[in-house]
Amino acid sequence: MKKLLIFGAILVLSLVLISNAVKAEPNAPAAEPNKSAAQPQKKSITITMIAKSSTNPVFLSARTGAEDKAKELSKKLGIDIKIDWRTPPVEDGQVQAQRIAQAVNEGTDCVLLSSSDASKVTGVINDAVDRGVPVFAFDSDAPNSKRFAFYGVDDIETGQMVMKNLAELVKGKANVGIMAGNQNAPNLQKRVQGAKMEAAKYPDIKIVGTFYHAETPQDAAAEVLRVMNAYPEINAFAMIGGWPLFTTTLLTDLDPNKVTVVAVDALPAQLAYIEKGIVPILLAQSTYLWGSVSVELIIDKIYLHKEVPVMNKMELVKVTKETLPQWAKQLKDWGFTDVPQRYLKEQK
Amino acid sequence: MTTGSGKKLQILLGRQQSGLVIVILLLVVILTTLTGSHIDRTAGKSVNNFFNSHTLMQTATDASFFAVMAVGATMVIISGGIDLSVGSIYALCGVLTALMLRHFQIDSPLAVILGILASVGLGIVCGTLNGLMVVGLEVHPFIITLGTMWIFRGIAFVISKAESILVPGSLTAFAKANLGLSPALYPVAMLIMIAVTAAGAFYLSKTVMGRHIYAIGGNAEASRYAGLHVKRITISVFAISGLTAGIAAFLGSAYYGSACCGDATGYELYVIASAVVGGASLSGGKGNAVSAMLGAILIILIRQSIRTLHFDQNYEWIIIGAATIIAVVLDKLNARLTLQRAMK
Repeated sequence: MKKLLIFGAILVLSLVLISNAVKAEPNAPAAEPNKSAAQPQKKSITITMIAKSSTNPVFLSARTGAEDKAKELSKKLGIDIKIDWRTPPVEDGQVQAQRIAQAVNEGTDCVLLSSSDASKVTGVINDAVDRGVPVFAFDSDAPNSKRFAFYGVDDIETGQMVMKNLAELVKGKANVGIMAGNQNAPNLQKRVQGAKMEAAKYPDIKIVGTFYHAETPQDAAAEVLRVMNAYPEINAFAMIGGWPLFTTTLLTDLDPNKVTVVAVDALPAQLAYIEKGIVPILLAQSTYLWGSVSVELIIDKIYLHKEVPVMNKMELVKVTKETLPQWAKQLKDWGFTDVPQRYLKEQK
Repeated sequence: MTTGSGKKLQILLGRQQSGLVIVILLLVVILTTLTGSHIDRTAGKSVNNFFNSHTLMQTATDASFFAVMAVGATMVIISGGIDLSVGSIYALCGVLTALMLRHFQIDSPLAVILGILASVGLGIVCGTLNGLMVVGLEVHPFIITLGTMWIFRGIAFVISKAESILVPGSLTAFAKANLGLSPALYPVAMLIMIAVTAAGAFYLSKTVMGRHIYAIGGNAEASRYAGLHVKRITISVFAISGLTAGIAAFLGSAYYGSACCGDATGYELYVIASAVVGGASLSGGKGNAVSAMLGAILIILIRQSIRTLHFDQNYEWIIIGAATIIAVVLDKLNARLTLQRAMK
């Protein structure tokens, strides 16, 4: 037993040593009582950011936007704004709810959230607000909760835009497969609904099916291939999320002579599809602005005490071969480091 | 200290649970020491980021779903089997219960009773099916429950049409009753975890059926020759595993307000890890309910610490996996040392 206690102590000590080795980035809100003691007049604001999945590049770009805006406003206002990133690695509404509760218990000043499952987080959002912690939603809303505002696209309109652009490309006649992601996500459900509503306006557009998949690039791309094999009649895809194009796999599998694609999102990994003419149109969400605009509105509300509209609409940006260089430059300006140089050279 | 007290202390420290309790307490001390503090908005005074009533209650709540399932899973493991379908049973029970209550438009204290009965009943049915297939088809439980893991979740997906189904407000009011404590403190989940653990501990240690589970896990052939109904006992442990999954499903859907087919994805790994960290042996014949609960608390505490101490959360799975292996190795070492001491 004595040896077990010694081993147990070694285990705990190891955990502490490991903790120092894998400590989070310097701008994470670690306990720094001495720092605040040195600058007692500087107010510190912590915004806990919980997106759907930390392995999805759209949310990583939102994080970049949030952190950049936090730095900018910190300098401008003379306060210390920290972004506390607590996004789970895989989508799980219950885990998001737990992390919201945890952040509130640890004294966060605001929660910035994109819900994987609005019904799971509504209760805990309301608890947070009742305990004095405001909640701001982006991308995927929790409309029945006490969140004070939302910033994102209108998902019904997004679905409609995808289908409208696709209908124009196929001249109103096609067998369409709708590629969605997580079937429980309310924003994606609305996009599918919007796509179907728009398709109904075209008598010669037939929706063959709506195909869901795990929201990883590999699973999404694999699902596209499975669907193409299982439904050879499909000659158009409405991708209401861009996951299948986050890999280069489909560059060789999607033949633009056989299948027409319109997709949402235009991150660097997807630009090759525009360049090669495989996907004529990408409808880009300015995912960087998810973080940037959200942080700005949060600070307006909780620090500057301004009125913030409840609904804040983000417009989609249409990216085509012609506008590719400008969009690539915008991505680079937003801090994306993996924008292929050749697109930027075209801009020059 | 008298010899009697010394002996009692020695016996207490020699228990399997003592090591876990000590590690948990050490982790609590470390978290309390290393984390910072903040001004509680309600109380207006400075509180420790970890050692405050809300965080402790939240940690216990987060652990309760795994701990409840781990009690049932431990019994399966003690019997020499394994149940990979607990997460899927959780999802199916949650979805079916929510659908039933929505269909009958019930939202009153009656909904709570019906919800518990439905979820537990469905869990027992699923678990019994597992057990019947294991003994009837004579296929290893790993394979059977691997298959039912997909089947049960697939059924949940089909019947729910991938929808997230809200549960009646009365269920959430029950699960989030603060029982006279401060606002935003919800002890019900923790109390249910303790109750289930106590019931499981009593069943395993004080009942004939419980002792039979250890017997067949230790040596199934010898148990058969001794006249034990091995098949009946095997079916019963899987039924109990399903029962505890049903309880956890009711608790989870009530607490979070909805149920969907994606719930508890991957939870089987946390549940088995809780049981194993708690000292259950995958070769059978060893384990207990209290240790399973402590194992679940330890795993959740490790997960909590990653966030409370602001570690890079990308290391979470690595840390939990390593901690699980270390805990099991330590337990084996302890068992060997105990045996060596006994032989001297």
